[in-house]
Amino acid sequence: MRDKTSRFGVFYLSLFFVMLYLPVLSVVLYSFNASSSTAQWTGWSLEWYRQLFRDRTIGQAFRTSIQVAVLTAILSAVLGTFTAVVSMWVSARMKKALQGIMILPLIVPEVALGVSLLFFFNALRLPFGILTLVLSHSLFCVPYVYIMVRLRLAEIDASIIESALDLGASTWQMVRTIILPLVAPSIVTAALLCLAMSLDDVIISTYMSGPRSTTLPVHVFSMMRVGVTPKVNALCTLILVGTFFIIGVSQLITKKRRFAK
Amino acid sequence: MKQPLLALVNLNKYYGDVHVLKDITFTINEGEFLTLLGPSGCGKTTLLRCIAGLERIQSGDILLEGASIKDLAPNKRNVNTVFQNYALFPHLNVYDNIAYGPRMKRSVREAELKQRVAEVLDLVQMSGYEERMPHQLSGGQRQRIAIARALINEPAILLLDEPLGALDLKLRKHMQTELARLQRKTGTTFVYVTHDQEEALNMSDRIVVIDQGEVQQLGTPRDIYNNPANLFVTSFIGDRNIFPVEVLETGAEQAKVRLGENVVQVRSSAAGRAALRAKEEAVLAILMDKMRVSCAEMDNALRGEVVSIHYAGSQIRIEVRVADRILTVVEYQKMECDCQVGDAVFVSWEESGAVLLPMEAGWEERGM
Repeated sequence: MRDKTSRFGVFYLSLFFVMLYLPVLSVVLYSFNASSSTAQWTGWSLEWYRQLFRDRTIGQAFRTSIQVAVLTAILSAVLGTFTAVVSMWVSARMKKALQGIMILPLIVPEVALGVSLLFFFNALRLPFGILTLVLSHSLFCVPYVYIMVRLRLAEIDASIIESALDLGASTWQMVRTIILPLVAPSIVTAALLCLAMSLDDVIISTYMSGPRSTTLPVHVFSMMRVGVTPKVNALCTLILVGTFFIIGVSQLITKKRRFAK
Repeated sequence: MKQPLLALVNLNKYYGDVHVLKDITFTINEGEFLTLLGPSGCGKTTLLRCIAGLERIQSGDILLEGASIKDLAPNKRNVNTVFQNYALFPHLNVYDNIAYGPRMKRSVREAELKQRVAEVLDLVQMSGYEERMPHQLSGGQRQRIAIARALINEPAILLLDEPLGALDLKLRKHMQTELARLQRKTGTTFVYVTHDQEEALNMSDRIVVIDQGEVQQLGTPRDIYNNPANLFVTSFIGDRNIFPVEVLETGAEQAKVRLGENVVQVRSSAAGRAALRAKEEAVLAILMDKMRVSCAEMDNALRGEVVSIHYAGSQIRIEVRVADRILTVVEYQKMECDCQVGDAVFVSWEESGAVLLPMEAGWEERGM
C-alpha cells in the first residue's frame, strides 16, 4: 500500500518537474540551433551567441543591469541590516510597526508600485536612469535583507550580547565585534538574492528605465515584440546560467554557515 | 573584620505589576564566596542581573566599594558575569574570547595581553586550547573558558548564574571543588546563584536564602542548616520531617510539645522563642538523618509503628507512623533494633537536629 503511494508520488513529482523545466530546457537547446526559425531543429551552432555579443544595445543593457544590480545589492544590504539591527532596541510596538512597513512593498502589486514610483520620482524631478532604477529595486530588496538578517539575529542567544556588554564593550563595539560578524553570512546571502532579483526585474524596471539606461530584461521584453528569435534564446540561456550561479554561491555560503555551527 | 565590598540597600524591582525583588538589603564582604539560594522563580537570578547592570532597579541602591553603581551601564561596572549557558562568542576562538574584555577596554597592549591570557588559561587548566573554537569544546571546558574570560578583567566581584546547571552530575561535583579552588586562589569575591542546596552548602562562606523575592535567611551553611529561621528555609534546606505539634509549655531554650499522646521536650528556634505561646500550634522540624529508631521505650521519644523499611546502599530509610503522621528516619549504621514492618518502636533524635518554629498560615498548602 505504502509502496503504491510512493510510486504514484514519484510519478507525480516527475511529471511536475518535466512540465516545469521542459520549456526552460527547450530554450537552452534552441539557443544552439543553426536555423533562424525557432520551429525546427537543423543542427548545432554558436551563431546566435556570436550575434548576441556583437549587438551593442544588448551589451549596453547588460552593463546597465549589472551596475543597477550591484548598487541595489549594496544599498539594500546596508539599509536592511541597519534597520534589522536597530529594531533590536525599539519597543515591541515599534518592532511590529516596522515589520509591517517592511513587508508592505512585497504585498503591493508591482504594477501599482511602478506607477506610484513614476509619479514620485517625477515630482522630485529625478532623471530616470540608473539612480531611479537602484532606488526602486532597493524598495523591494530591502525587505528581504531585513527579514533574513532578523531571522539570524533571532538565533543569537541574548546572553551572548549581554556578556559582550558585561565584559566592557560599548553598544557600538558590541554591534561591530559580535552582531555584524554573526549575521555576515546572512547579509551576503541576502545581497546575492537582491542581485538576482534586480537582474530579473521587468515590471518596475519598465517604468524606471531612462532613454539610455534600459536593463537587460526590459530590452529582452522589447525584443520579443518582434517575435522570438534564437538570439533571445541565447540571451535567456546566459541570464539563466548567471542567475543559477548567483543562487548557487548563496546556497554554498548558507551551507558553510551550517557546518560552522 | 572584613570590609563590606558590595551593599544592597532596600532594593526593589518590578516587572510591570509583579514585585520580583522586595526590599533586598544585605552586604557582601571582600573575598567571600556568597551564594544566592532559592527555588526557580524566586528572584535570585534577577538580583544577580541587577548587580551586573543587565536589569534596572526601581528603588533602593547598589553600592560597590561605597559608590553607587545603580545607574551605570554594565560595561562601566567592575563586575563580570559567568552565564548559565557560558555565552562564549561562537565566531571567536578561545584566545579571542578571553582577550575580548581587555581589548574592548583597551587596557593592555597585545604583547602583555598574550601573557595575561596564558595566565588565566593556566589558572583554569586549559593551556594549549587558544586556537580552539567554542563548538569544539565540551561543556566543562566551555565553562572554564567562560570563567577565564571573566577573570582576566580582574573584576571586584565575579557573578555566577547557575554555572553548573548544564553539566552532568559527575562533572558538576568536580567543578564544585574547582570553583572553590579558583575562588581561594584568586581571592576574588564570588556571588553564586543556584537552586541546588548541596552546591550551596558545599562551596559557600555564606548563603542568602531567597524565596518570593525576599531574603529568608542569611548565614553560614552550618548556621542555615542547623538553625533555619523560618518554615521556608526548614523545608528547602535539609531533609526533614515537618509536622504540627501542640505547645504545652515554653521555657528559655526548650519547649514541651505534644503530638498525639506523645509529650516531648524540644529545642525552640531563636526566632520561634518569642512567638511561641502555650496552647498554640507550632511546627516541629527534625532532620531525618539525626533521628534513630529503637525498640526499647525511652524518654523524649515518639511512639509509633513501622510502616516500611528500604535499604538504599549505605542508607536505611524507615517510615514510622506516629499519630496519623508518617515520619521518615534515615539511619547509616546498623540499626539499633532489628524491627520489622508492623512493630511498635520509639523514635528519638539528637537535640540539635530538631527545631520548633511558630506556625505560619497556609504552610502545608505551600508544598512544605
